[in-house]
Amino acid sequence: MNPVFERNLRQTRRQLFSTAGTGLGAAALASLMGESVTAQTKAGDGGLPGFPNFAAKAKRVIYLAQGGAPSHVDLFDWKPGLAAKYGEQLPDSVRMGQRLTTMTANQKTLPMLPAIRPFKQYGDCGRWLSTLIPHTGSIADDICVVNSMHTEAINHAPGMTFFLTGSQIPGRPSMGAWLSYGLGNASENLPSFVVMTSRDRENSCGQLFFDYYWGSGFIPSKHQGVQFRGTGDPVMYLSNPNGVDRSLRRTLLDDLAKMNEMKLADYGDPEIETRMTQYEMAYRMQTSVPELTDINTEPKHILDMYGPDVQRKGSFARNCLIARRLAERGTRFIQLMHAGWDQHNNLPTQLEIQCRDTDQPAAALVKDLKQRGLLEDTLVIFGGEFGRTPFGQGDIKNKQKHGRDHHGRCFSLWMAGGGVNAGTQYGKTDDYAFNVAENPVHVHDFQATLLHALGIDHEKLTYRFQGRRFRLTDVHGKVIKELLKG
Amino acid sequence: METKDRKQLDSLLTDLAVDQLDPVDTGKLRDILKENPEAVDVYLEHSTLEAWLRSDEWIAEPVDGKIVSLSEGPVFDQAAGTKSRPYGAVAAIAAVLIAMAAFAFWKSGDEGAERSSALALAKPETKRPKKSVVAQKEIYPLSDKHPALSGNGNVRGGVPEEIDHLPETVGYNRHVRALLSENCFFCHGPDGNKRKAELRLDQREGALDSIQPGSPEESELVARLFSTDPDEMMPPPDSGRHLTDNDRKLLKRWVEQGAEYEEHWALVGPVEKKFESPGKDQWPTNGIDFFVKANLDAEGLHPSPEAEKATLIRRISLDLTGLAPTPAEVKAFVKDEGEGAYEKLVDRLLASNHYGEQMALPWLDATRYADSNGFQQDGDRHSYIWRDWVVKAYNDNMPFDQFTIEQLAGDLLENPTQSQLIATSFNRNHMLNGEGGAIAEEQRNNVVFDRVDTVSTIWLGLTLACSQCHDHKYDPLSQKEYYQFFAYFNNMPETGKVDTRLGRLQYGKPVLKIASAEQEANEKQMVKDQGKNKGIITKAKAEIDKAAEAWWDAGVDPKKVQTKLKPVIGRKFATLDGYNDRYVREEFLRQTSNAGWKKAQTEVDRLTKALEKLRNEMKTVMVAEERADIRPTHILDRGDYESPLDQVQPGIPAALHELPEGAPANRLGLAKWLVSPENSLTARVIVNRYWQQFFGIGLVKTTEDFGVQGEDPSHPELLDWLAVEFVRSGWDVKHLHRLIVTSSTYRQSSRFTDELRKSDPENRMLARGARFRLPSMVIRDQALQFAGLLKPEVGGEPVYPYQPEGLWHEFSYEKFRYTPDHGDKLYRRSLYTFWRRTVGPPNTFDAANRQVCMVRSKRTNTPLHALITLNDPTYVEAARVWAENLASEKLDNPVQFAFRKATGRDGTPEEIATLESARQKALDHFSSHNEEAVKLLAVGEYPKKKDLDPVEVASLTHLTQLILNLDEVLNRE
Repeated sequence: MNPVFERNLRQTRRQLFSTAGTGLGAAALASLMGESVTAQTKAGDGGLPGFPNFAAKAKRVIYLAQGGAPSHVDLFDWKPGLAAKYGEQLPDSVRMGQRLTTMTANQKTLPMLPAIRPFKQYGDCGRWLSTLIPHTGSIADDICVVNSMHTEAINHAPGMTFFLTGSQIPGRPSMGAWLSYGLGNASENLPSFVVMTSRDRENSCGQLFFDYYWGSGFIPSKHQGVQFRGTGDPVMYLSNPNGVDRSLRRTLLDDLAKMNEMKLADYGDPEIETRMTQYEMAYRMQTSVPELTDINTEPKHILDMYGPDVQRKGSFARNCLIARRLAERGTRFIQLMHAGWDQHNNLPTQLEIQCRDTDQPAAALVKDLKQRGLLEDTLVIFGGEFGRTPFGQGDIKNKQKHGRDHHGRCFSLWMAGGGVNAGTQYGKTDDYAFNVAENPVHVHDFQATLLHALGIDHEKLTYRFQGRRFRLTDVHGKVIKELLKG
Repeated sequence: METKDRKQLDSLLTDLAVDQLDPVDTGKLRDILKENPEAVDVYLEHSTLEAWLRSDEWIAEPVDGKIVSLSEGPVFDQAAGTKSRPYGAVAAIAAVLIAMAAFAFWKSGDEGAERSSALALAKPETKRPKKSVVAQKEIYPLSDKHPALSGNGNVRGGVPEEIDHLPETVGYNRHVRALLSENCFFCHGPDGNKRKAELRLDQREGALDSIQPGSPEESELVARLFSTDPDEMMPPPDSGRHLTDNDRKLLKRWVEQGAEYEEHWALVGPVEKKFESPGKDQWPTNGIDFFVKANLDAEGLHPSPEAEKATLIRRISLDLTGLAPTPAEVKAFVKDEGEGAYEKLVDRLLASNHYGEQMALPWLDATRYADSNGFQQDGDRHSYIWRDWVVKAYNDNMPFDQFTIEQLAGDLLENPTQSQLIATSFNRNHMLNGEGGAIAEEQRNNVVFDRVDTVSTIWLGLTLACSQCHDHKYDPLSQKEYYQFFAYFNNMPETGKVDTRLGRLQYGKPVLKIASAEQEANEKQMVKDQGKNKGIITKAKAEIDKAAEAWWDAGVDPKKVQTKLKPVIGRKFATLDGYNDRYVREEFLRQTSNAGWKKAQTEVDRLTKALEKLRNEMKTVMVAEERADIRPTHILDRGDYESPLDQVQPGIPAALHELPEGAPANRLGLAKWLVSPENSLTARVIVNRYWQQFFGIGLVKTTEDFGVQGEDPSHPELLDWLAVEFVRSGWDVKHLHRLIVTSSTYRQSSRFTDELRKSDPENRMLARGARFRLPSMVIRDQALQFAGLLKPEVGGEPVYPYQPEGLWHEFSYEKFRYTPDHGDKLYRRSLYTFWRRTVGPPNTFDAANRQVCMVRSKRTNTPLHALITLNDPTYVEAARVWAENLASEKLDNPVQFAFRKATGRDGTPEEIATLESARQKALDHFSSHNEEAVKLLAVGEYPKKKDLDPVEVASLTHLTQLILNLDEVLNRE
């Protein structure tokens, strides 16, 4: 830090740029008082000067990351012509030497496998979606389906890492960390970046959640996501030890502060002051966080919207509801990670279960945000790290045991709210749902667009490390303006 | 202000706010502020400087009534003088504001108030600055300070701080390189593929195409720099790069003076500067102090007095062993007034077995040591054998060159010992992807990339990884050279995937088995027997499947099948997937009435378990090995393993010193090259990292980057002297550490003075001792130590202390359940805690993630840390057991006793009174809440001491908890 301005920095910038971005920071007062979004707009600060770079359509993001790679062929990318091609070999002219994972690289044939359930048209916009996801159908007019996503990754961890950090190799800052760093915290009273994880109940597939999915890489670690857990304390070590009540803890902190004051007077180390502040924040978090994750105050009709699973701690449905509560309180980036989409050999049985777990809650979240007027400035994203092959893996004649392999050349996701062109569809794939045919959207383009919706020029949000300026989109990415309104 | 300008300003202020403003941008910001009053407004919005300017305090009367003008201001005179050095952003901005103030005053004084618009924006009209000599001193006392004090990105900077003033002699390293690097090298630098107009400016030879030394008028470069034609000007308008007027003039003068180039400092071997041996009564103790003192003298600063003895012994014990001194040790040291008492203490600590543990920690961070593979499967590995090797190497004071050679290439030494083979496990600390669909060759390439990154960062401090896809943009490292370096690590008989799975233990070849002959024989026999029994089953598979299906579909008793199958009970056998039908088949065989089948399955089960147990006992370490037939290495287009270009041979970048004649083209040749005395980087990089360990920050702050974009050393001569001394001593690590900790510099008190707090908060000038928060692992060990719980054994298998339930389960899938240890293993040093790569120990913080190489220490200060040390059962139990010990010792003054144990010193009366009152409050509280006391004392599984009053112990637990959270205890000071 620079000495001349050391005092300023301590007095202003530290507050402006540090405190507010401190993960859980002051997750306290306003949330205790039930402060709402209207209040947070004025409280909002802590970003970098000049950010957002231009008027933001979205103020926050709820990212429903679907680990394991949902099948675009079966859910979002309707190919009526595929039915007639059932069992036919994928033509080499379509495959064009595309590499395959080791799971199908040695498979003798690549037989086309049309969507396993019918599609139908939903909404005024007439969007074609699988009947496996009727709830998503019910919000068809609120979402934009992107069918032309593509990525270089073909394995889960690198794929998800790529989506969330812009690099397949772990260690870069994740999107939420970038936003916390760039935009600061929208509320003085809440974490700017929260992560919740869930998985299918049968643990049918092996997707892990790595902490670098919400890591801060080389930018200061206060920007890393704070994980709310489904079991035990919502934040690790949040509860007082047994036998220590809040009043006793208060006296401890008061006496601790007195001792530290004396130390400060003797040594003059400014870090002592910061530590005292952080201990106070920790104390406030102990009430604000449990309040946040307690859904008992939600009326029955709201709980019903999210489906029966909402009663199960750590479920995707419960996490969706908590996501809404966080959004209401101004959390900037809410990252839900749901695993279970990796249907290599159990597509006929597991895909349905997977849809049941996620379809209703995700749609309910959009509706719930909408009825509260929050959807306008909340960007909701639902999508996986890549798609699945339109040809089958294993014996597609076996009624129960077959599936699809990983596929990065094209896949789909949907976006809602936050200035997204609702009721539209973007990009096209070829007749085989194998290659992008029109308007490709690379992962870096998607990231650039997401930042754009938040009012950020993706080339501006940089951090200097190892002698160069790093950014989420590396040296790539273009904003797909068509995905956003005007 | 135009949008474009506003955007640029915002971006510059952003950088400033996060201390990322480099010298070139500093120049830009300075120009904008100078030219644009609106910009000043914007700037002031982001700074409390406004308040300072608005206050009158800094405005003093003119000296001799002389008006300070732009060209005459003492600020600038001073800055233009010989002592001037680049300072960085803030001083420059302050200078601008002063300049504006002075300028405005001068103008308004001379020609009327209407000319003072610039000032009006910075300050209300009514009070104009009249003079600024005093003011300057107060506002930026740094105008003549050491560059390290700027603390802003590159210390070196390339931008002179003075406005419209050029240094008399323009130096390439000091002034020019950063300007060219930031603004020109991207298109005219080392990267041959991106080079435009075939012009290269990073080397004199190429630059002479556009430079006529001594004749700026005839130099195309200068013409382009000063051109206003958008098609001609450089940098081009759309490049986003920008030179200030001053920058241009500076470059012009450099051309005028002959356009001499200098090599980047780090690529030139260290030069040892001689110094006179300090006199006995002088402050300096050794060479370190000589250089530090010279800098302090130049800045008019003074070293701080030596720290109190109690503070000193705590500091050095924690630094060298990671453990606090015992009260007896403190007492003995404080009492020992004899000569050399401190040196004796140092010797004792250097000889401690815990020294190796403490030194191993940063090495494990840098080398991304973990006990599992990472990625989806995240199987375990027996890396701890190598971890113990590291601890032992430090304890044995293995010379650093040997330490290097054995780890990188122990397998290539003549008749390598087992220990030398274990050492090579260094090469295998990378993550290993066991994911189902992973393409082995892609993963293998990723492993080699990671290896190159790790080795080049750890030894060379170079960001070689930047050249993986293209020539390095800043440093003289080509993409071809990257792959030549890569070739050294590309010749192991590895597959890139997990080759062997033994339950949780999973590894990729090559491996070293550590087993007795008996174990080997047993293994062989068991494998044979298992094969036989599996054969029986395989032979009858069709028949078995049929029978199993009938058995399963008829319905099974849920109590009689393994848990794994419970979720699928009721489903038809035909609908089960590849995992579950296998389990059904096995379950059927176990329960079948066919005796032959049943026996075969039972045997397979038994042998599987026995083999797993045996193989886990045998220990398997992943090590390095060289393939006989050399795997060709190609340049990979954009780093894509599927796009090989030209083949390359092993080699080192041309910018670094040459390989000796006849050096083998393998890891051994490379390792020896790394530690050859001619290497300009290794010794400096290593010495710098050790410095970081003892002072919290390196002499080169960017410990990971010694390239041109890294930071220059705060004390270049000291760094060089240490590097030379390190090599001269035979790479004697303990010698180096002794030198550092016995220096007067290290022994200073770490108190901030007001002056230092203002002028040098990061302590780059070393006018005081370092004070910083202990690594989280040391904080935990220390808590266990105070409680008397710590088990000090060195080495061995990883242990599983407490962690929140379900954590592994949430992260992994099904397989990993964390089963905490019991008894002594709960209280081993944190170094031995099992490190699962996907979810590291939850109560460590600011630790390297052990996924990729990390060498810069991170220290943040967040509420999550407070929650750990306040609420984690590890800490609560330590507080409780410590309290029980205090209670059972029936002390007169348990408060003072406990405080002394934790801090090494006696508390002041105020401190003791505060702690006493805290305990009293807790005593009152628990007296009326007996049941709460009992609950608190139940935390942790360590047996409770009997016959103690729970209320008293609970109140003492409150006290010890408080002490464990004292800032002083969390820090080493």
